[in-house]
Amino acid sequence: MGETGKEEYKIQSFDFESQKLLKTALKDPSNVDLDKVANVIVDQSLKDCVFSKEAGRICYTIIQAESKQVGQSIFRRSLLNRLQQEYKDREDLRNRSLQAWICYVTFICNIFDYLKVNNMPMMALVNPVYDCLFRLAQHDSLQKEEEVDCLVLQLHRIGEQLEKMNSQRMDELFSLLRDGFLLQEGLSSLSQLLLLEIIEFRAADWKMTDAAQKYYYSEVTD
Amino acid sequence: MKSFWSVGHSFDDMFPQIIFFPFSFTTPEGPGPLSRCLDWATAVEEDEMRTSVNKEIARYRRKLLVNEFSRERKSSSGSSDSKESTVTVELETDEVVLMRRQKQINYGKNTIAYDRYIKEVPRCHRIPGVHPRTPNKFKKYSRRSWDQQIKLWKVALHSWDPPAEEGCDLQEISPVDLGEMETESIGSNSTESQTSCQDNYDACSGTPTKVRHIDCQAEGEFDLEACLSEPLKDLNTVS
Repeated sequence: MGETGKEEYKIQSFDFESQKLLKTALKDPSNVDLDKVANVIVDQSLKDCVFSKEAGRICYTIIQAESKQVGQSIFRRSLLNRLQQEYKDREDLRNRSLQAWICYVTFICNIFDYLKVNNMPMMALVNPVYDCLFRLAQHDSLQKEEEVDCLVLQLHRIGEQLEKMNSQRMDELFSLLRDGFLLQEGLSSLSQLLLLEIIEFRAADWKMTDAAQKYYYSEVTD
Repeated sequence: MKSFWSVGHSFDDMFPQIIFFPFSFTTPEGPGPLSRCLDWATAVEEDEMRTSVNKEIARYRRKLLVNEFSRERKSSSGSSDSKESTVTVELETDEVVLMRRQKQINYGKNTIAYDRYIKEVPRCHRIPGVHPRTPNKFKKYSRRSWDQQIKLWKVALHSWDPPAEEGCDLQEISPVDLGEMETESIGSNSTESQTSCQDNYDACSGTPTKVRHIDCQAEGEFDLEACLSEPLKDLNTVS
C-alpha cells in the first residue's frame, strides 16, 4: 500500500507493529485478530485528534473487506462494543483527560458519518452522539474553547444528517447554544464567535452563505 | 404497522426505480420488540438485516409482477380466462416474522454443508424434490409449518456434511421429498405459537458451522427425534 495508504488513512502516528496490523486488516481481514485491530484503532483515536477526525474511513474499509472476504462483521461489532464502553464512561473520561474526551467525540461523530448501513446512518448512534454534543453544550464545557471548537466542528460535519434523524433534539441543542451565547459568563470571544457562526449556519439550512463566509472566514482587509 | 421501503437500485433494467421513504428510520417509535437490545453492535446488525429484508421483499414483489405480466401476455389471445388473471398472492410482510425467518435461514446457510452443497449443485442443475431448496420466507405459512420446513431443509442439507470421524446418524437419511412442501400454505394449522422448536439443531446434530454466531437465541433444547417423527401428514393438507 505504501505511502498513499498511510496518508489516506492517516496511520503515520501508529507504531510500526500497529501499522503492519492495520495494513493486513485492510487486505486480509480473516487473518488478523479483528478485535485487537478495533482496540488499537480506538486507543489511538483517543490519543491522536488528527487520526480521530478521519478514522471512520479506515474502519469503513476494514468492514467492507471483512464482509467481502468472509461475510461477517466481527470488526464492526468489536468497534461498536468498545465505542459503547467508552461512551458509558464518558464523564470519567472527560475528568481524566479533556483532550481524550474531545478525541472521543470527534471519533464517534466520524464513525457516524462514515459507517453507513445500507446507505443509512446507524440508528443506534444517533442518541449517543446527541448526548455527547449536549454534554459539550453544558456550562462548564462552554467555558473551554477546545470543547466549543469540537462542538462546532462536529455540527458542521454531521449536523444536517443528525437533524434528519431527530430534529427535536437538534432544536433542544440549539436552544442551549443560544442560551450559552447570550447568557453564559466567561465565554471567550473566540467561543462567542464560534457559537454565533454555527447558529447562523444552521439557520441557513446548514449551508455557508456568502455573507457568512465573508464575515467569518475571510481575511480582514485594511 | 407497515413500513415503507426504499429501493436504491434497480435490479433489472426493465423496471424504473421505485423510491419509497423508509419511515422506520425516522419515527421515534422504532422497530418495536427488536429495539430491546441495548448494545449498539446488535442493534446495527438487526437494522442491517431489516433493510436487506425490505429490499428483498420489494425485489420479490417485482418478480411476481413480472411473472404475472408475462403470463397475462401469453393468455391475451382470448383463452379460457375472461376475468382478470391477477391472483393477488398474500405475502408475509411482518418485519418481526421476516427477520426471525431470515435468521433461521442464515443459521442453515452458515454451515459447511451448505457451502459444499452450493458448490456441488449450482442452481440451474437443481432437481426439485431431490435437491434441498431454501424455504421462501415471503410466503404465508403458519409458524408450525415454517419451522418444519426449516428443519427438513436443514436435515436435507446434512447430505453434504463434510466426511467426519464420528459419523453423524443423519447422514444416512435419504433426501426428503420437498416437492409437496413448497406448495403448502396456511391450511388448518394453528398460527403463531410462542414455543417452537428453535435452532439448537446444530448443537444436537453436530453439523459443522462455519462460525459460532453471537446471537444463538436458545429457546431451550428441542427434541430432534420428536420433530423428525412428527406426523408428516400435517403437510399433506393441501389447500
